[in-house]
Amino acid sequence: MDTTPDGAAPPEAPATAAEPSSNPPPQAPADPKNVQSTEADTAPKLSPAELKKRKQAEKQAKRAQAKSSVPQTPAQQKGPLAKEGQKQQKDSKNAKADLSKPFPVRRRPSQGNTPVVKEVKVELKKDKQDRGLFFGHLYNQPRQHSMVGASKDVNPAILALGLQYSNYIICGSTARMVAMLLAFKTVIEQYHTPVGTSLARHLTAHHLNPQIDYLRSCRPLSISMGNAIRWLKDLIIKIDPDVPEDEAKRDLQENIDYFIRDRVTLADDIITSATAQKINSGDVIMTYASSSVVEKTLIRAHQKGIDFSVIVIDSKPLFEGKQLARKLANHGIRVKYLLITGAAHAIKEASKVFLGAHAMMSNGRLYSRIGTALVAMLASSNGLPVIVLCESVKFTERVALDSIVGNEAAPAEEILSEAERRALLPLKPYLHTSLLPKDDTKDTPAKGNGEVLEWVDNSDNFQMLQLLYDVTPANYINMVITEYGSLPPSSVPVVHRLSTHV
Amino acid sequence: MHPKRKNTLYKCVWRPVIANPLPAFDVVATYRSILASDPELTMPVAAIESLVEAIAHSNVSTVAETLRLLDDMTTILKNSIPNPISLSAGTDLFQRYLITTLNRPASLHMGPSDDFRAIRNHLLSNGRLFVERAKASREKIASFGKHFIRDGATILTNGGSRVVGALLRRAAESSTMRFRVIYVLSSSASSDAREGQQIVADLRAHNVPVATIPDSAVAYSLGKVDMVIVGAEGVVENGGIISRLGTYQLGLLAKSKGKPFYVVSESHKFVRLFPLSQFDLPIEQKVLDFKTSDGEKKGDAREKQGPEDEGVADMNGKVAGSKCSGNRPEDAVDFTPPNLISGIITESGVLTPSAVSEELIKIWF
Repeated sequence: MDTTPDGAAPPEAPATAAEPSSNPPPQAPADPKNVQSTEADTAPKLSPAELKKRKQAEKQAKRAQAKSSVPQTPAQQKGPLAKEGQKQQKDSKNAKADLSKPFPVRRRPSQGNTPVVKEVKVELKKDKQDRGLFFGHLYNQPRQHSMVGASKDVNPAILALGLQYSNYIICGSTARMVAMLLAFKTVIEQYHTPVGTSLARHLTAHHLNPQIDYLRSCRPLSISMGNAIRWLKDLIIKIDPDVPEDEAKRDLQENIDYFIRDRVTLADDIITSATAQKINSGDVIMTYASSSVVEKTLIRAHQKGIDFSVIVIDSKPLFEGKQLARKLANHGIRVKYLLITGAAHAIKEASKVFLGAHAMMSNGRLYSRIGTALVAMLASSNGLPVIVLCESVKFTERVALDSIVGNEAAPAEEILSEAERRALLPLKPYLHTSLLPKDDTKDTPAKGNGEVLEWVDNSDNFQMLQLLYDVTPANYINMVITEYGSLPPSSVPVVHRLSTHV
Repeated sequence: MHPKRKNTLYKCVWRPVIANPLPAFDVVATYRSILASDPELTMPVAAIESLVEAIAHSNVSTVAETLRLLDDMTTILKNSIPNPISLSAGTDLFQRYLITTLNRPASLHMGPSDDFRAIRNHLLSNGRLFVERAKASREKIASFGKHFIRDGATILTNGGSRVVGALLRRAAESSTMRFRVIYVLSSSASSDAREGQQIVADLRAHNVPVATIPDSAVAYSLGKVDMVIVGAEGVVENGGIISRLGTYQLGLLAKSKGKPFYVVSESHKFVRLFPLSQFDLPIEQKVLDFKTSDGEKKGDAREKQGPEDEGVADMNGKVAGSKCSGNRPEDAVDFTPPNLISGIITESGVLTPSAVSEELIKIWF
């Protein structure tokens, strides 16, 4: 989505434009203001069909531009006109051609346009991002929920994976990274170097990047995924051009397997065995949400015959703790499940706190599921040791000072559960009429429970902010257990250096 | 090591009986006699020295054999004394050193054709070099640490740490500094107290005014104190220290009064251990002993794992020889967390507590 804000330039970015993906992190967008405005109207809330149309329109525009057959009037770049133009694109190809050009650039006050329903919606979104409550920059990444509009280069395995990401079926930074690497194995297997190029150059830049971009459009990449991608690209680039393609591909696939084995499977094994030793009988372990390595640790300790119990604290947005509590209980561990509202009460019984991580920052801070910081601070103020379990592949050289600059905002429609939507439905009669969806709305999924979201979307003074992560300051963390041993959080950069350069 | 390894593996095949290498060699006795013979020696160094002796007395001829011998000896040593924390710092370090050198024979300037015995001899001489260096480190620490003492300062210290003693002595010898010392001395006749009295007498002979106070007077005297210097039995991974019982409360009090709290310790006392709390130490201490009048014990889970040890044996070579009961609180140790420590003065420089883990990682990876 690199369309320049310059109205005269042809908008040529397809839905999955190739961005430089050498630093894929979900956080820290370069220039929120700029990117945000352009992407705001291109991306969100477009049905697949519309996306397709848009792309066609852009192509047309390019062609038209080449011929320079249609002169541009300043009026056409004005907002309302452009909007109407876009509405007409269904009938007139020519109109589409030039009118789509200014489309990504403009910003309009939302009130003036009420008659044109669909466009109003788009604008409202954009304005909301302007208000944004400091979080506008987190919305610059359009979320993709379907395979439509994906580049044709994207491998079916990646398409499927992307859907699993965006639906939170594959969730958790380790699981996402492993799934991605396995899908990349398929991609590499099916890859053939075109004539006249070398595998080392073509595979990364032209074949892998579209896959990565598609995955990123489904959900921002996790730190571990970024690390794995960097590792893989580094590996590919270093392939000797003389190596036959088959051999190179086999090597790559083998290396991916080794990577998963060394950095995840074995690392988890070391971490769980080290952590299980920290559990004494009689302990009450508190954990927050769900982490695969915490789960393995607790099960392992239980199988060792240590008598302990677990308190699982859980919260919106994903309620991952439910899964963890169920699995632990199925293993015969005594489990208490509480929402975060009860954490202050439950902490009095706990003796240790185990936390999973999305990433460990170089300033020793923990970047993890939103709510983690709360639990860590609570534990710290109660004098409990806070132990983070984290594979070194999740370490990053970046630092985080707060939870605002780098974070992931989940769109409301992904997060609101069916039950919650149903609960909100009876409120409909009390809604202000301007918030009610108009009848000519064409979005089919908006019917039924999805309707609720439209109220949210339509309201101009209400925004649903759903962040997925928060940052826990280092002084609330006593210990980080990695496959390199136990460390204080201040040693994260040392281990990161070690794990990337050895 | 690849060419070599093949070689050694081969040797293993036709000499597999060395599972129990020379039982005649008593590593514990050697360890104790080494400690007793040189009062300047610390536990980790004595442990390393006795391990070197063990290897010298054995006829190991392969890498695997050497490592197994080392393992056996280390286990015997650790089991023989009540508080192996300090000792394990030395044995771990030596083991690590052995593994890295054995895996890289090239670093010893030897070809693959060289006999393993040559490697072994090299190891032995290097091991002795290590011991020499470790002994010299105390003087180096003293020369670093004396700059922390300003003219007119009052220093609070405790225990019978010989490094602290060396540091204060060195400072006293310099003619430009006048300073006073408040020495926390327990009244008991423990080895630690004896060592402490020795240092006090020594300092007084050097014209340094010394006041001795009991543990209970620490908070009282803290107002007169400019800085606290303590020794350590082990420096753990998070930068905290394991030291004589009472050091933790000294640290807490110093922190609450905003007095800088420095630890002096040789870097061979860095130990790969990460205690989360006082009761997370890998030793048995019987400090907490809940009793009622009818003698029946009532305690919580903590009391059971309450540790026992010969805490400060490190500070005094003779203690290791006189096997102590381990029940006495004056021989116990406690854990001072890193947030109470301003700096750790080692022979390789002055570290912040968080740098300890970095140093340890450097050694281990």
